[in-house]
Amino acid sequence: MTLCLMTASGLPGVENPARAQLNWILNCQGCHQADASGSAGGAPNMAGVMARFLRVEGGREYLGRVPGVAHAPLSDDALAELLNWSLYTFDRDHVPENFNPYTADEVRRLRAAPLISEAASKREELVELFVHE
Amino acid sequence: MAFFDRLTERATRRLAQTTSRRSLLTALGSALVGAGAVPLLPVARASGTGGSGGYPGVAPQTTGNVQDPGDPTSCDYWRYCAIDGFLCSCCGGSQNACPPGTEMSPITWIGTCQNPADGRSYIISYNDCCGKTSCSRCLCNRNEADRPMVRPQANNDTNWCLGTESTVYTCSTAVILGVALED
Repeated sequence: MTLCLMTASGLPGVENPARAQLNWILNCQGCHQADASGSAGGAPNMAGVMARFLRVEGGREYLGRVPGVAHAPLSDDALAELLNWSLYTFDRDHVPENFNPYTADEVRRLRAAPLISEAASKREELVELFVHE
Repeated sequence: MAFFDRLTERATRRLAQTTSRRSLLTALGSALVGAGAVPLLPVARASGTGGSGGYPGVAPQTTGNVQDPGDPTSCDYWRYCAIDGFLCSCCGGSQNACPPGTEMSPITWIGTCQNPADGRSYIISYNDCCGKTSCSRCLCNRNEADRPMVRPQANNDTNWCLGTESTVYTCSTAVILGVALED
């Protein structure tokens, strides 16, 4: 299973890393900054944190439902690719061994129920689960 | 005292006999008109012309690079395809740098513009410069691919002076981040 999801880029679930990076720059970097460190009072830090959400209950769903992801003007497969690329680019060390990359179908389902005002509190809740690990 | 009377009378009569009653006005008038003909203070001669952007007092600029054509003080400069604001090029900075005393916002709105030199699309980051009062020179509002406020990451009516010490907007730059992929 994992083998067939491996792609030319070497990153699971990332068909075209150049396209993923372009989509990152155009849709995310403006607020999250080039190194994903985020901005005070604005977009949260992702670097070294993002993949840790995959390790807690509800975290995988959270990443597909945060407003910036769910509302990104991208197709489902481009968005799934961008999510996978971001995980490996900004927090490779925390990506679980058994990580199944996001697929277009899963992303379509998640982004249909976006987090709006509760995004920040949901994040705090999840961070609380893994921060003491 | 008679001496003073005579002296005053003689002086007054001599003045009245040798000068016309309007000579003072004549002399003052000549001085005023003459002063206008000879500038006494340095004059901002650039204000007469203006660069290709047409803003008075701003001389034309060039990047000096044939791959980066156009005048960065003009709204028509290719990198400004989605700009909404004052050009830092006209405000003591450049298309890449902030004027002295201002801080470049790390939070930006990012889009693409086509470079006429090679026909390729480049990723442009409109970093605002913040911390001084608005520059107010060379206002440009091209808005290509600008999106409404419900898409904040692609909306240029937002004040992008975020993450800076001051949220006061001064002017905008247009920094090249890279080459965009063709779809």
